Amino acid sequence: MLSIQGRHALAKLMLPFFFVLAIGLIMLGLTRRPVVDSARLALADGLSPAYRLMAAPETVFSQWKQSVVGLTDIAGENARLRAENQKLRRWYDVAVALANENAQLKASLHWIPDNAPNYVSGHALRDAGGLYWRSILLAVGEDHDIVPGDVALDAAGLLGRVTETGNRTVRILMINDDASRIPVMLTASRGNAIMAGDGSPYPRLIYYAQDNRPVEGERVVTGEQPAPDGREHGAFAGMPGGLVVGTVHYVRPGSPVVVPEASLDHPDIVRVFNYMSADHAGPDAPGRVRLMPPMPVAPELPFVPFQKPIRGQG
Amino acid sequence: MVTHRHAPDIHPGIAPRPTLRRRLDQLMRALLPSLFIVISAFVLSAGLGIPGQSELAFGIAASTVFFWSAHRPQSMTPFMTFCVGLVCEMLSFGPPGVFLFSLLVFHGVAHLWRYGLSRISFLFAWALLGGLALVLSLFGWIIACIGTLTFLSPGPSLFQAAVTIGIYPTLSALFAWARRTVADPEQA
Repeated sequence: MLSIQGRHALAKLMLPFFFVLAIGLIMLGLTRRPVVDSARLALADGLSPAYRLMAAPETVFSQWKQSVVGLTDIAGENARLRAENQKLRRWYDVAVALANENAQLKASLHWIPDNAPNYVSGHALRDAGGLYWRSILLAVGEDHDIVPGDVALDAAGLLGRVTETGNRTVRILMINDDASRIPVMLTASRGNAIMAGDGSPYPRLIYYAQDNRPVEGERVVTGEQPAPDGREHGAFAGMPGGLVVGTVHYVRPGSPVVVPEASLDHPDIVRVFNYMSADHAGPDAPGRVRLMPPMPVAPELPFVPFQKPIRGQG
Repeated sequence: MVTHRHAPDIHPGIAPRPTLRRRLDQLMRALLPSLFIVISAFVLSAGLGIPGQSELAFGIAASTVFFWSAHRPQSMTPFMTFCVGLVCEMLSFGPPGVFLFSLLVFHGVAHLWRYGLSRISFLFAWALLGGLALVLSLFGWIIACIGTLTFLSPGPSLFQAAVTIGIYPTLSALFAWARRTVADPEQA
C-alpha cells in the first residue's frame, strides 16, 4: 500500500508517462503506418454493422427528400424525362447498330473474349481518410475475394483502388487522394499520362508528352497496368484499361485536370472489380502461336576457372 | 476542486448509505464527460453525410477535455483522458497519435492552470482554448506532411481549429449545467 506522498508522486508521473506513450504512437505512425491502419481497420470492421444501422435513417431521409423534391416539380420532371427518353431511344438505336457491327468484326477475327471480372457491390460506410486524405470504407460482406489494387467504380466512373481489406470491409483510396497515381489514356489525343490526386476534387494530369498535350474536353480512361508481382492471390492487382475516369479541363493554361465522372463527394453504392481472374494474356486456343518465354537479357557465360597469366604475354 | 458552490447541508456529516446503486450512480456521473466524448466520436465516425465530421469530433473531444480538466479534474483524470484519446484515435483515420497527444496537451494545460482559469473571464479561457486548438491542429498538419513527405494543404487544420473555437461556448454552457446536475457525483 502506497503512502499519501507516494500516491501523489505517482499521480504526477501519470501525465508525463501518457505523453511518452502518445509520442511513441506518433513515432509508430510515422515509421510503421500500416500497423496502425490495420488496427483501425479491424475496429471499423467490427463496428460495420453498427455503422450500417446508423446510416439507415440518413438513407431513408435522403429518399424522402428526393421524393418531396420530385413532387414539387412533377410537370417539369416529366418534360425533362420525355426529352431524355427520346434522346436515349436514338442512342439505343446507335448502340444496337454498333453492337451488331462489333459482333460481326469479332466473328471475322475469331475473337476470344476476356473472362468477365468478378465484382462485389457495397455501400460506402464511412469516411476513412481523416482530415488530409481521401478514402472511404466500403461494406462488402464476408467471404469476399477482393485484394489490394482492385478497382472501385460507382455508376458513372472510376472512384479509386482498394488499399486494405478486412473481413467485411475494404478501404478504398479515392482518385483525388494525395497518394493516388493512376495511369490514364486520353481518348482524342491518344496520349498517355498519370492522373495524380492532390486532395482537391479535380486530380491533376502529369507526365504527358509535351508535343501531345491533353485537349480540353476529351475523355480520360484508365491505361492498362499489369500486376507487378504476377497474378498470385494476395499480390497487388493490376488495372485494366478503358475504364471511364472523366474529362480533361484546363483550370489555367498549362495545368490540365480531370473532372471525374464518379461522385467523389458522396459515394454511395460502389462496385469493386476483381480482375485477378480476368486473364489478359488470353487462354490457350488451337491455331494460336504459343508465346515463348522471354530470352534472358544477359545470357549466362560458361564458367572459366581463373588462370594465372603466362609469363611473357602482355 | 474549483468554483464549487453547493447548497449548505441541513444536516452536515449525515450522508446517504454508500449502497451499490449509489456507487454506480456516482461512477456514471463521474464518467459522463468521458462517455460523452466516446459516444460523440463513435457517432461522428459513421457515414452520416454531415460535412466536417472529423473536425467536429476533434472539436467536441478537445472542448470536453479542456472544460472538465479545468472545472472538475476528478471527472477527467489523465488516465481517462488517455483512454478516451486512444478510443478517438482508433475511430479516426488521421495521423496516428496526434489526436491522443492533443487531448493530453488540452488536459495538461487546463489542469495546470485550473486555478487561474477559475479567476479569469470566460473570454480569456476561450482564447486560451483557441490558441491551443490552432497550435495543435497545425502540429497535426506538420506530422501529416512528414508522414507523407509532401506539402499538404493546411486548410483542413485551420478549419478544425475554427470548429473547435466555434463549438466551445455552446458546449461550455451545456457542461456548466451538467456539472451542477447530471454529472455531479455528489448528487448521486
